[in-house]
Amino acid sequence: MRKCYDSVQIKLRMLITVLLIMVAMVGYARQASQISGKVVSVEDNEPLPGVSILVKGTSRGTVTNMDGEFSVQASTGDILTVSFIGFTTQEVNVNGGQTNYEILLESSMGDLGEVVVVGYGSQRKADITSAVSVINMDNMGEIPTTNVSRLLQGQAAGVQVRQKSGRPGEEMEVTIRGIGSLGAGSQPLYVVDGFPIGTSLGQTLNPSDIESMTVLKDAASTAIYGARGSNGVILITTKSAKEGTVNLDFVVNQGIQNVPDGRRTKMMNGTEFAQFKNDSFVDRIRYYENREPAIEEIPLEFRYPEQNTISTDWFDEILNQNAQFQNYNVTLSSGKGGIRSLVSVGYVNEEGAVIETGFERFNVRANIGGKVNDFITMGWNIAASRSNEDYASTNGRSALIGKALWADPRYPVYNEDGSFNDYIGGTNGVFGTGNVVQELHEMERTLSENNVLTNGFLEFTFLKNFKFRTSVNATLANTEQKEFRPSTLAGTGFNQAPPREATLLQRRDETLNIAADQLLSYSKILGDHRVDALLGFSAQEETFKRLQGNGNEFPNDQVRYLSAAIRQTSTSEEADWSLMAYFARANYSFNDRYLFSASFRREGSSRFGANNKWGNFPAFSAGWRISEESFMPETRWITDMKLRASFGVTGNNAIGNYSSLSNMGISNYVLGNAIANGQILSNFANANLGWEQSQQTDIGLDWAMFDNRLVLTAEYYNRLTNNMLLSVEMPVISGFTQSLDNVGKVRNRGLELALDYRTKFNQVNIRSNVNLTINRNEVLEIRGENDEIWAGGFYSTYSVSQVGRPLAMFHGFKMVGIFDTDAEIEAWPDQDGAVPGTYKYFDANGDGVISYDQQDMIEIGNPHPDLVLGYTLGGDFKNFDFNLMFTGAFNYDVFRQIEGSTMNMDGVFNILQSGVNRWRSPENPGDGRGATSNTWKWQRESNSRYVYDATHVWLRNITLGYTIPKNPIVPNARVFFSAENPFLFTSYVGTNPDAKTRGGINIGVDDESYPMPRTFTLGATLRF
Amino acid sequence: MKKYLNITILCIGVLLFGTACDEEFLNKTDPTVLVSDNFYQTEKQVIQAVNGVYGQLRPWHLNQWQYTEFISDNTTLHFNQGDRGAGPSLEALEFWQYNPSTSNITNLYNSTYGIMVNVNTTLSKLPDSNATDAIKMRSEGELKMIRAYLYFQLVQHFGDLIIITEPVNSPAEAFEYNRSPVETVYEQILSDLNFSVGALPASYGSDDIGRVTKGAALSLLGKVHLTRKNYSAAIEALNQVTSLGYDLLDDYADVFDPQNKNHQESIWDIQYQGDNQYGVNSNFIYTFAPRESVGAVIDFPGQDGGGWNTPTNEIIALYEEGDLRKEVSLREGYTSLQGEYVGVPYINKFNHPHTIRGVTNDNWPVIRYADVLLMLAEAINEVDGPTGTAVAYLNEIRDRAGLDPVNGLGKDAFREVLLNERRIELAFENHRWFDLKRTKTASELVSMLNAYGLRERADPTTSREGIPFSNNDFVFEAFEILFPIPQDQMRINASLIQNPGY
Repeated sequence: MRKCYDSVQIKLRMLITVLLIMVAMVGYARQASQISGKVVSVEDNEPLPGVSILVKGTSRGTVTNMDGEFSVQASTGDILTVSFIGFTTQEVNVNGGQTNYEILLESSMGDLGEVVVVGYGSQRKADITSAVSVINMDNMGEIPTTNVSRLLQGQAAGVQVRQKSGRPGEEMEVTIRGIGSLGAGSQPLYVVDGFPIGTSLGQTLNPSDIESMTVLKDAASTAIYGARGSNGVILITTKSAKEGTVNLDFVVNQGIQNVPDGRRTKMMNGTEFAQFKNDSFVDRIRYYENREPAIEEIPLEFRYPEQNTISTDWFDEILNQNAQFQNYNVTLSSGKGGIRSLVSVGYVNEEGAVIETGFERFNVRANIGGKVNDFITMGWNIAASRSNEDYASTNGRSALIGKALWADPRYPVYNEDGSFNDYIGGTNGVFGTGNVVQELHEMERTLSENNVLTNGFLEFTFLKNFKFRTSVNATLANTEQKEFRPSTLAGTGFNQAPPREATLLQRRDETLNIAADQLLSYSKILGDHRVDALLGFSAQEETFKRLQGNGNEFPNDQVRYLSAAIRQTSTSEEADWSLMAYFARANYSFNDRYLFSASFRREGSSRFGANNKWGNFPAFSAGWRISEESFMPETRWITDMKLRASFGVTGNNAIGNYSSLSNMGISNYVLGNAIANGQILSNFANANLGWEQSQQTDIGLDWAMFDNRLVLTAEYYNRLTNNMLLSVEMPVISGFTQSLDNVGKVRNRGLELALDYRTKFNQVNIRSNVNLTINRNEVLEIRGENDEIWAGGFYSTYSVSQVGRPLAMFHGFKMVGIFDTDAEIEAWPDQDGAVPGTYKYFDANGDGVISYDQQDMIEIGNPHPDLVLGYTLGGDFKNFDFNLMFTGAFNYDVFRQIEGSTMNMDGVFNILQSGVNRWRSPENPGDGRGATSNTWKWQRESNSRYVYDATHVWLRNITLGYTIPKNPIVPNARVFFSAENPFLFTSYVGTNPDAKTRGGINIGVDDESYPMPRTFTLGATLRF
Repeated sequence: MKKYLNITILCIGVLLFGTACDEEFLNKTDPTVLVSDNFYQTEKQVIQAVNGVYGQLRPWHLNQWQYTEFISDNTTLHFNQGDRGAGPSLEALEFWQYNPSTSNITNLYNSTYGIMVNVNTTLSKLPDSNATDAIKMRSEGELKMIRAYLYFQLVQHFGDLIIITEPVNSPAEAFEYNRSPVETVYEQILSDLNFSVGALPASYGSDDIGRVTKGAALSLLGKVHLTRKNYSAAIEALNQVTSLGYDLLDDYADVFDPQNKNHQESIWDIQYQGDNQYGVNSNFIYTFAPRESVGAVIDFPGQDGGGWNTPTNEIIALYEEGDLRKEVSLREGYTSLQGEYVGVPYINKFNHPHTIRGVTNDNWPVIRYADVLLMLAEAINEVDGPTGTAVAYLNEIRDRAGLDPVNGLGKDAFREVLLNERRIELAFENHRWFDLKRTKTASELVSMLNAYGLRERADPTTSREGIPFSNNDFVFEAFEILFPIPQDQMRINASLIQNPGY
């Protein structure tokens, strides 16, 4: 395989050599009687490609190349007409003797002339015929964040960004146009400076290094990425030097983070819990034995709750109040001369909102590039980072946050001698657990990553209209994890008092990903006809290696290395995948009015079965700039109007690396008292495994009004995912319960609306952007008509995908009330084990029995919002500026799974403070939400009682800035204040309406995770 | 100029479409494992494939207590209301509240067919492999014996079964199979066993001890015939076992001692190995020890047991005065590390010292010579009544247990005594449920189990700390003699017919 890859590379090198020679010859053969020049935008000094240059009164003309350069035959006295859509046309006189012209064009129409990065190239915004959102960093405020995914939040219609928890450095979950797959992944593809890095951004990129992001949403824009295009593509462009300037920039941003009171779950305090336990003994004797208990029958520890002296709020105890946030960046850029370069250095340090956790990262980035000569352009970029995280296990009931909620509050954190109280609870039915504060202090948990990403390209311009670009991208990531659990801690399960066996895990992973692209492009303008064409070849390969050691039982807790462990085990792993693709694209426009585009990609992937390795991904789109038509009236209402439509086919290869093959697994035995190696089949082979395909139709309208002060973009889309890569159930007599197959259909269709408004009142500039997304998801087909996919469990909730319904709907018992009396239970369908005070469930199948399984479970909640909103309001007045950003999601449900434990009342866990209003007796029925403490049955199971509406609006960021007047020392300086996640408006009782404890498509299950802090920072930017 | 253009196009053409090694570049296999297409070829691979099947019997046997002892009147549980994870599905077996969704029944069904696929695949590849004829013959004997054993277990639990004897090549093929009547299943079992009896050696060299032998195949054949009430065929098969050199050990405790594995009494043991981290260990005592014993039963700091498969008051009371087996088989309680006596009983047969927490060295006896003797006595009694031979076999067992011989019983009384003796001698070795099904009619079983259930409800073996029983706990109905076919299988294949009652 390696040899083969090399042979592709050798061919490439030969080709490059041939091209070099040829290009040199072409240059040599050229006539010298030409004038040349460069067209740049007056606003930002950026070169303008595709500008039409016409010698007035002749048919001679040309168009500028990607670097804004042109050459044309002209003689003294000729006039060059320089025109470009979105810019004011300019005429330039040709003077004798001057052969080089720098022409500055002024924008006539806002951002329509802007050049947008698209897949394998760039395009004028005005020419785009597909659904593409550009995210510009300029109008975003100063966001104190460590992860680039945050920058996508609230910025583009159709892009939903969920912050699952407040864990420092954590990547947010990005979904473009709904969840399109039941079996494979639903994350978009991220492409950094042309390098497809995968479906996760990771934690390595520095947000300050980002110049802009483009979100490709429809199939016409993503089909060029073939098998990875189905879930959308996010193109990230990093900063490079601006032409003609030399800058030294400093950014300093420092602040604190706190978890506000409103985002803390209120549990019973020690006295309340002792009272609860006391009551539960009383209630039990009253109900089951029908008498008043004697005081001695109550265990001593609960007998006199009012005498309880200790009340530990474990959640408060693990919070790190006023956690520090620091971010520093220095960027040096030089854009003078033919070769431009930029170097940036960044450091960010975020202390966690939970003690003993935090994230820090160092970033270095350097790029250099430009014209080597008239024929060769090159660029090279290298970015390196190192990040360190002190992490903790925080997701779910049995992890830290869950434990901090349900641990017995009647125990102190420390013993009288100052040492940790190492075992909490564990008496009279209350679950015993470790001390969460001690665990945070004494466990060693670190995760670090070294990441180097580099890419370079060489581009040859030849035969006037042709360009050949060859590029190589590589990323090397090394991660190291260490987790040591000393013997002093209680076990991770229930009732496991310390000391326990100390354990150590040490793991090193290495991922090497190499991609090479060869692109041949052609662009030509012939009168009113404009043609761009692209032909490309791409290959990519990734290799992953892991070495892991585990140690158990250590002679002491001080020496924390594998060699010190009494028992050691080790594992090593390796995995790889590859893809190869040929692709082509052609754009044609007539008269800047009728726009057409078509693309095609043929892609092969190592992940698919032998019979289905290759897939084809075509796409078409067309646009009509109605505003250019002569019949359209000239009105302030229409500055520009474009109607466009697209259709295309994309794929999804986010499945395991070797899913199509059946492998042998180890199943050892003992023969003759020695280990005998045994081998068994580990999965069912499917050589026909092939591509999951999405067909997407998109109709869009771009409408600019009032001289671009108001810009409206509206889209309708319909994405149909076919042949989903799904684990399909099959009869177990085959030896396996499931195999991966291509079955089923899911549809996501919706509307997107983005409205951009800019205006000026006297000296106040106001800009605002609102984007709305309405997505409707429906499973159209699974295997058979009545097939369903159930994920989850009886004692949490089920996320169920059924034909005809949105995917991953919550299923459980429907709670219709609380039983008050035995007579009421008698009259109700048989709910075995129910006593007065038990949740009363609906007999969904009407068979007279509430079965203690899934038979009576029905749909109890919908985790998909009806409407998702992003809203930005910004402006400036004199030297002051401000920016506010809101996100919102409306009419959807969250299943608050933690309540299955903190509200089940059987007395093994601490209880939500609201549990004081539980059912005690028919005379004292409480608030109708808390059950009796007399039974363990029917309160933990998935039921509608724990479903909450999570509609919310979240003020994500406020930035206030002040620009210091120009002075000789610091020409450009600005100071700012920023507040991140300051206000959440919701009726949801949990702490994070974006919570997602369960993996995959199963959104909206809240079993508690890392708390969400708010961050306040003060900072400054300086430019020299 | 045209010339250059042509060269360019040519070059790009070569680059784009001339990559002959595309397919090679795109062929990736998991380097950490072998692909099954290339396996089953050499003799070594054939042996590894057979070993793999044995390897699957290891975890499979860790769970069989649930379906044979726990469900019966031999053992119960120490109720743990906090455990709503694995607990409820096990409780469903204990309280006879199981239904087609009960996950532990699904586990039994699925894991058994999960072994079957490896038996069938290896059998189908065997003829084309390079193994010697001797190894081919032996391997076929081993695999067919294991297949017969597994179908025998399943048919007793589920009744009519889907018989599959070849690997399926596509998911669609698997939908074409349906359940065969019990008779047909037994024909398959007998055909496999008869082959194995002829193919397997009576013993192995020291490197292969642990493989199934001719003696194991004959004993199983005898048990199948006994279950089918073909008593003379059972006697014929079992009699052959008596001449293969097996004998009872003198000390009952030695039978289960991991220091004394694969002794003269063991006919087929599932092999486990402890004291290392190779993952081939057993852990029975960790499931069976009392759940709040905190290091008092399992000698590791703070170590609790699972509190499952707890001997019932009923079986404890059944031990005769002076029965040497009682202390070996069970304990009625333990002394906590604080010195308090706690009256929670537990199975002690598989409780031996070991060096690594969670890793025990105990083998699991599937068939041992005592079982063969008791089966022989049972078969002879059914044919000829309690003959001298039959009584002698029973008294051999009683003698080792330190008990007086029994004499002078009639046929029916002898049958009862024999069943009781099996209950005690083979206690907690996964025989009880099948013994009950074999020897009782459905109505006898229903009345005796419900009577036992009422006693357990009135006076539970272990404290429920005031938590009442649900109304339907310990209520046994005749249809529950057979387990339901798991719901998942019914749902995806509409042509399957569920057992009545579910």
